[in-house]
Amino acid sequence: MLLRLANRDNVAVAGSLIGLVSLLLAWLTLKPNRIAAGTGLPIWEGFDWTGAAIIIALWITSFGLSLAGKKRPQALGLGITANVIIIVSFLFTGLSAARLLQQGSAAAARVSLGAGFWVTLVGAYVVIFGARHVIGEPRLWKNLIAWTGLSVTVLLLLTGWLNNLSVMQEFIGREERFLQELLQHIFLFGGSVVVGTIIGVSLGIWAARSRRTEKPVFYFSNITQTIPSLALFGLLIAPLSALSFSFPMLREIGIRGVGPAPAFIALVIYSLLPIVRNTYVSLRQVDPAIIDAGLGMGMSRRKVFRKVEVPLATPIVLEGVRIASVQSVGLAAVAALIGAGGLGWFIFRGVGQAANDLILLGAIPIIILALVVDATMRAIIRVATPKGLAGVSQ
Amino acid sequence: MIRLEGVTRLYGTVKAVENLSININEGEVCVLIGPSGCGKTTTLRMINRLIEPTSGQIFVNGQDISQVRPEKLRQSIGYAIQSVGLFPHMTVGANISVVPELLHWDKGRIARRVEELLVLVGLDPREYDGKYPNQLSGGEAQRIGVARALSADPPILLMDEPFGAVDPLTRERLQVQFIDIQKKLKKTIILVTHDLDEAIRLADRIAIMASGKLIQYDTPEVILSKPADKFVHDFIGTDRALKRLSRIGIENFVRVSPSIELGASIGDARSICKRCRWVWVVDKDKKLLGWIDRASLAGAVSVAEAIVTVDRDAVAITSGATLKEALSRMLSQGLNNLPVVDNQGYLIGEVTLGDIEVATKETGV
Repeated sequence: MLLRLANRDNVAVAGSLIGLVSLLLAWLTLKPNRIAAGTGLPIWEGFDWTGAAIIIALWITSFGLSLAGKKRPQALGLGITANVIIIVSFLFTGLSAARLLQQGSAAAARVSLGAGFWVTLVGAYVVIFGARHVIGEPRLWKNLIAWTGLSVTVLLLLTGWLNNLSVMQEFIGREERFLQELLQHIFLFGGSVVVGTIIGVSLGIWAARSRRTEKPVFYFSNITQTIPSLALFGLLIAPLSALSFSFPMLREIGIRGVGPAPAFIALVIYSLLPIVRNTYVSLRQVDPAIIDAGLGMGMSRRKVFRKVEVPLATPIVLEGVRIASVQSVGLAAVAALIGAGGLGWFIFRGVGQAANDLILLGAIPIIILALVVDATMRAIIRVATPKGLAGVSQ
Repeated sequence: MIRLEGVTRLYGTVKAVENLSININEGEVCVLIGPSGCGKTTTLRMINRLIEPTSGQIFVNGQDISQVRPEKLRQSIGYAIQSVGLFPHMTVGANISVVPELLHWDKGRIARRVEELLVLVGLDPREYDGKYPNQLSGGEAQRIGVARALSADPPILLMDEPFGAVDPLTRERLQVQFIDIQKKLKKTIILVTHDLDEAIRLADRIAIMASGKLIQYDTPEVILSKPADKFVHDFIGTDRALKRLSRIGIENFVRVSPSIELGASIGDARSICKRCRWVWVVDKDKKLLGWIDRASLAGAVSVAEAIVTVDRDAVAITSGATLKEALSRMLSQGLNNLPVVDNQGYLIGEVTLGDIEVATKETGV
């Protein structure tokens, strides 16, 4: 027994403890109206006793498993348990929200998620993170454990199971706006990363090739990275409005001091550093002996670049694009402040109205978007990493 | 085959190679050696135009290489380097196929060539073709590097410390294999090394360089016995007599020696020992078992009783070995005479310490 305890999965233990602590906090908040402060309900009042008992039992199971050793079977058990916790929590949330609203007298009453619920989610994902590490290959189990909880949640959202939650009530009636801002958000970060990649990779290659450009390129991309995002947006307003003032044609295609144009440009500039840096490093880390061998065998300089340097550099360049993408998803939220739209619009509107649920309506999709972008890029990097090079990029 | 005429290469004002003229014969192994910074690698890299000479001319097969497109020139010259430089994202097979593909060989021919070369360097094609460089040991990678250099069957091979990055044991195995392969292929090889033993072992001719200049260019025998100046003398070191021995095979020093079978009579043994002081004992198949000398004969009534048995592998030396190896075995075994066996292990004679001494004196070291 002692031996087993010594061999416990510390990450999962921490996650389970977070989960157990969450049981003491308020799980649902009942508010008389949209912006009023609500009363927190503990899990046994928020959910009925059945729900509470199931979740408590699941967390105790998780804690037990995490102490039982750091092996594959335990890790699989932990991963499954954590996903069940997430799914069950959302299932009961839907049921309980409907029940609480029926009981309540006020017509404008709202039910929103409390601290306990969020902390349980955090705990569950800490457990999942730990379990994924232990499981290793094959990839299928890792992915199932990472994504099942989230997928079921999205499914519940789409079927309307969670419509009685106040976040969803903010959403209902704003579907069109939501879709529009979501697309705008994707356009802002996606477009800027594409443009940033084209410019960044070129600059990176340039810097890696010539000692003279190396310094100014990095000076520029380092400095821009240190400017706070809001300041950079602001900085761009003046020159852009001057430009559009002197060239009315630019105004016609939508380039003004405020709006998407400065936001887009700023996001492009931010995405440069990780991409430039990784491109530069990826080319510089190619063993000179490999290039020497290629040239010595009679490959032309261009062929060495295409057949040797590019395949060896690609995973690292893509890693830079991944960092830039995830960062850009978050930064694009700030773009709403200068009228560029995007999911940030809900956040700032929510802050203005002191309506927390409206903030969440912007924030949660941004988080999910970031996770999806991150996972997609990781998958792309895995595919693009040449066999025989495994372990270099990760 | 390869001729350098007054070749100079400057780096700023530093003369990496200065007015170097050298002629390398077809089918010979020419080893460039010297202290680091002597210009040996620069010289090597000028031959395939990875470095351009500041002045002077280089001819390959009578053609001035500055008139040949570098890519084309390099495709006709094999190139192997110390760090091997295998492409990590390509399999062993793909690495070896690089030059044949540049030359647009068809697929079948390339596949056959890859198999042929893997067999040549002693690696099982079925096992190694699909491996990636990070799955190879240092010695295997070096061999693949050599196979890759040979891929398009170039008449010339440039090798920059090709056995430099492996442990001494592997290096020795690779050198033996190199000699074997070269016997078959008869390439013109220019090899850079800083290891004098390697140079003596592999070279037909050694070019000793210092500060960009050619100091002496001759066969290992001549360089060891008649160093051109004090620099070469010091460079070869004080043990050149010993190094010299590593160039001489024992086959010319094998003496026919008396031997008897285990089943022979003790009287025969006594009569031979009266003449020769000792006699080798072999079994029915002429495989070595041990020896009998006067001391061991004392009081013995049969050959089996008188024999001093030996560990055949530790004592007997094969006829292909060098005098240096024979000497070192004598010292380690505490023997003045070594039995010599052929490749099948049959006793063919013996080699004596006295003969080795004579050999060193005769060659004037």
